[in-house]
Amino acid sequence: MKGITRRVFLKHGAMAVVGTAAIPSFLARAASGAVTPGPKRRLVVIFQRGAADGLNIVVPHAEPAYYAMRPSINIPRGQVIDLDGFFGLHPSLASFKPLWNQGHLAIVHAAGSPDTTRSHFDAQDYMESGTPGVKSTGDGWLNRTLQSEGAAGAASGEGSESGGTAFRAVALGTSLPRILSGKAPAVAVSSLSGFGIAGGNPAAAPLGNTFEAMYAQSVDTVLRGTGRETFEAVRMLKSADPQRYMPAAGANYPRGRFGDALRQTAQLIKADVGVQIAFTDIGGWDHHVNEGATEGQLANVLRDFSQSIAAFWTDLGTLAEDTVIVTMSEFGRTARENGNRGTDHGHANVMFVLGGAVRGGRMYGRWPGLDPSQLNEGRDLALATDFRRVLGEAVSRHLGNPHLTTVFPGFDNSPQKFLGYMSG
Amino acid sequence: MRRSAIGFAALMIVVTAAGVYAKKQKTSAGDERRLALHALERLTFGPRPGDVEAVMAKGVDRWIDLQLHPERIDNGAMQARLSGYRTLQMSTRDIVFSFPPAPVARAVMEGRLPMPADAYRHAIYAAALDRIEQKQEQKQGPTAAENAAATAVKPADLTGQQQLARREAHREINDLIALSPATRMQRILSLPVAQQRDLLQGIPYPTRQALLAGLSPEQRETVVALNHPEAVVDGELQAGKLLRAVYSDRQLEEVLTDFWFNHFNVFIGKGSDRYLVTAYERDVIRPRVLGKFRDLLIATAQSPAMLFYLDNWQSEGPNSDAALGKPGPGPRPYWTRRPAAIYRPRPPQPNPQSNQQQRRSGLNENYARELMELHTLGVNGGYTQHDVTEVARVFTGWTLEQPQQGGGFVFRPRLHEPGDKVVLGHRIRASGEEEGLEVLRLLAHQPATARFISTELAQRFVADNPPQPLVEAMAKTFIASDGDLREVLRTMFHSTEFRAPQAYRSRVKTPFEFVVSSLRATQAEVSDPQPLLFMLNKMGQPLYGSQPPTGYSTRADVWVNSAALLDRMNFGLALATNRLPGASFNPGQLMNSGAASSHAGLASATAPTEAADPYEAQRVLEQVLLAGDVSTQTHDTIEQRVVSPQLAAQAQDAGRPANVNVIAGLLLGSPEFQRK
Repeated sequence: MKGITRRVFLKHGAMAVVGTAAIPSFLARAASGAVTPGPKRRLVVIFQRGAADGLNIVVPHAEPAYYAMRPSINIPRGQVIDLDGFFGLHPSLASFKPLWNQGHLAIVHAAGSPDTTRSHFDAQDYMESGTPGVKSTGDGWLNRTLQSEGAAGAASGEGSESGGTAFRAVALGTSLPRILSGKAPAVAVSSLSGFGIAGGNPAAAPLGNTFEAMYAQSVDTVLRGTGRETFEAVRMLKSADPQRYMPAAGANYPRGRFGDALRQTAQLIKADVGVQIAFTDIGGWDHHVNEGATEGQLANVLRDFSQSIAAFWTDLGTLAEDTVIVTMSEFGRTARENGNRGTDHGHANVMFVLGGAVRGGRMYGRWPGLDPSQLNEGRDLALATDFRRVLGEAVSRHLGNPHLTTVFPGFDNSPQKFLGYMSG
Repeated sequence: MRRSAIGFAALMIVVTAAGVYAKKQKTSAGDERRLALHALERLTFGPRPGDVEAVMAKGVDRWIDLQLHPERIDNGAMQARLSGYRTLQMSTRDIVFSFPPAPVARAVMEGRLPMPADAYRHAIYAAALDRIEQKQEQKQGPTAAENAAATAVKPADLTGQQQLARREAHREINDLIALSPATRMQRILSLPVAQQRDLLQGIPYPTRQALLAGLSPEQRETVVALNHPEAVVDGELQAGKLLRAVYSDRQLEEVLTDFWFNHFNVFIGKGSDRYLVTAYERDVIRPRVLGKFRDLLIATAQSPAMLFYLDNWQSEGPNSDAALGKPGPGPRPYWTRRPAAIYRPRPPQPNPQSNQQQRRSGLNENYARELMELHTLGVNGGYTQHDVTEVARVFTGWTLEQPQQGGGFVFRPRLHEPGDKVVLGHRIRASGEEEGLEVLRLLAHQPATARFISTELAQRFVADNPPQPLVEAMAKTFIASDGDLREVLRTMFHSTEFRAPQAYRSRVKTPFEFVVSSLRATQAEVSDPQPLLFMLNKMGQPLYGSQPPTGYSTRADVWVNSAALLDRMNFGLALATNRLPGASFNPGQLMNSGAASSHAGLASATAPTEAADPYEAQRVLEQVLLAGDVSTQTHDTIEQRVVSPQLAAQAQDAGRPANVNVIAGLLLGSPEFQRK
């Protein structure tokens, strides 16, 4: 706490010297305490599993080729929610429009992994390991973010000796995903209620203690480590009691797995249990057949997706200021619709970046175009922005972790190449 | 092991009071015992009390050989246990017409199919028709029914009218339960259709069980189907898998059926697959798990479940007669016609298109890609995107006859892409259906396939990262034996790597393996699989529920995490303290069997079971649940904490000394029991 106070003071001091005429807004925000650097900042990563159809999500409605290639599944110009005269949102993303207007939502189109695989499994694996084309990577890039930040966190004097609380990195889901697996502790939670022995029933506490002792002393190093994390998390959750944090007014989460996951993520964040990195995923994007256009399969899943995220944003309230949400999907889909009114596996896709400190309301990245000569292999949206470029900026500028060569080994991620959706 | 060897020896001395006999067996039996246990852990879904001794008596190698020949193992008891699940024996068409999916009900509604006369079926159809009408009244979007499965969003809250109907239905339930089964069934069939439809909707588990109690299998299925015909189909399929895993004596066959289903995964939640998976597992996978890989591959390629799951049934050659609009016999396949329900006027086009552009390629690459990546060569198996497209062209025309009505595989020349194709550098001469068979044979015999299949088998049976020499030896057998899966397994089971100390308890159980091994170890009686299936959903492994074609991983890192560990501890405690509906645990019986097996045939029938001596209870439970191989840490922790009476009292369940149940629950949740 002392450190922060002094930093703020120093900034005030600097301003006093320079004068108050032209205070950069980020300094003003930092000085006012709205944004505190370091571990208070949070990154929430959302994976759209199954290869979402980016071209029907953020629609290049000024591209004639778009309508030519998608005769039965295009989003008619009149129904696109226009953003900048060229791109527009699928009508199911209506709840994103206010976030765009407020300048919190940035969109990076034609982004993704440079690897050419069209296998869901491989492409997801690469996006989670953060090393496209390299299968032997043992851990996920979110875990390496934690590993490389561990030292920094300890130096700032916050968090426990391991560099954070049991909920520093949390995945909402039944199993720990590849993206979070690795040396740094991370916890998977499928449901906050009942996270404990016998659903947290006090009468069963002695049994919980027995299990804890059993695992703490086990010679099985893998299970011992997980056991320790488990019981730390149980204790912490019990004292924080996240059930007290009801969704804020106006935070209307859709019913379903994804809405539940984000609602519980918000509960954890609001319970102040030290969440720094959260991950969850949403499936149902693999529309080879009858994808639909303004209505239909894609429209339904997009509604779930956007309304859940918008509710999450509302729910976080002022905490949203310190939060950045990034979405990604393993690859895009073919620019042309196939013979079954669906789309097949493609290449580049669209990523959303939402955050308090994000310079939103703008499209980022180069647009490669949809002319047949501009397509990847003559069939997919070409790649203009490597997904690691987008993520690297969030890791570096938002989380303040400069170790990008550790997080994304083998990738030149120098800040000069960032898209600039966050202030440097 | 040091501890367990001592523990085991001590137990032998204590319970047999025949020290000389025990000592004579100790050293040679120690290794043999561990090998028997290891073989049981890997070839079965977990040892039951007494299994280790039985395998040792038979000899490990002879027992493995027997498991490799399931046809020599009598499984009559298993068949009897499954006889109440009638769909398991039905053809796909019978299943479809007995428990109609929405398209069949709609066909009856529109007069395209007759309404069945049989009283039970008539009631099921009437309820299904009523449900469709109700949906139409709610004026959901035209594609809502189609998309219901594809989206996680639940329908909105019940309308007032629906709540009223449900209340009406539920008011009757207690009266119904009081009736004799025969009268109850009659009364249910005479209820107004809206009440029949909602009878089971949202009622608590015990009420549901009481309502179904005493009914014949057909009656039970009918009552469930009134509410949800599809739930009968997947419910019985999942129940069958769980029961077989727990009770079948042909254990290796069950493990292999699980393995190969997972290898050739299809997802039960994808549309019509719900109706196709029963026959897929029974007729395609199970009979071929110990045969030639090629036969298994071809059978899956022609199976309705796979053709539907990976979309190949809809793939159309871009230059096929159908795509070019050439006149042919009969109408176009119905899926290439735009269904009226999803018709929407085409939006104004920003630019006119040439005919060339307007002709859409109906080629679907999904099956072609997974065939090579997941079924045969493996992702590094040396194929290119060009190969994927070529294989997709080869398989055009491999389609289905009326999949929504349970039709089978058919080759339609009109959909087939003409011309030669080149796959992995081999020219495939234009020959219609034969091209696909040629490609399957080609893929089945690639060295990359031999290695990939061997690697996957070794991952399942030996280690997450299997030793390379073992994989090479298995691949060699694969090639030399023309892909004989029994021979490949034999090479693996008799390898030094399989029997190496590093392999022992090196794998972490998947949730399914954990749940089933718990039920086997405790000799629990499963009266209703449904609550157990629900637990598996919660643990992240719903049966037949892996959406991606990769199937479920068996790697430890996928399943070892905090939430999963808590789920396992809680499951162990719930099972052992009889708080788990659908399964009952009888500690007295277990203690008896434990005492009997450790007496090696010398047991008296009246071994103490009431935990008069909790130390003794712990020792026996360690023996029966973990074959006596328990770590000092686990043993001491339980001894110090639970054998203390006041702790036991706090977790006590009425009517039984708590120690036995609680100790069993703790052992099921222990680190040792998570491994195999």
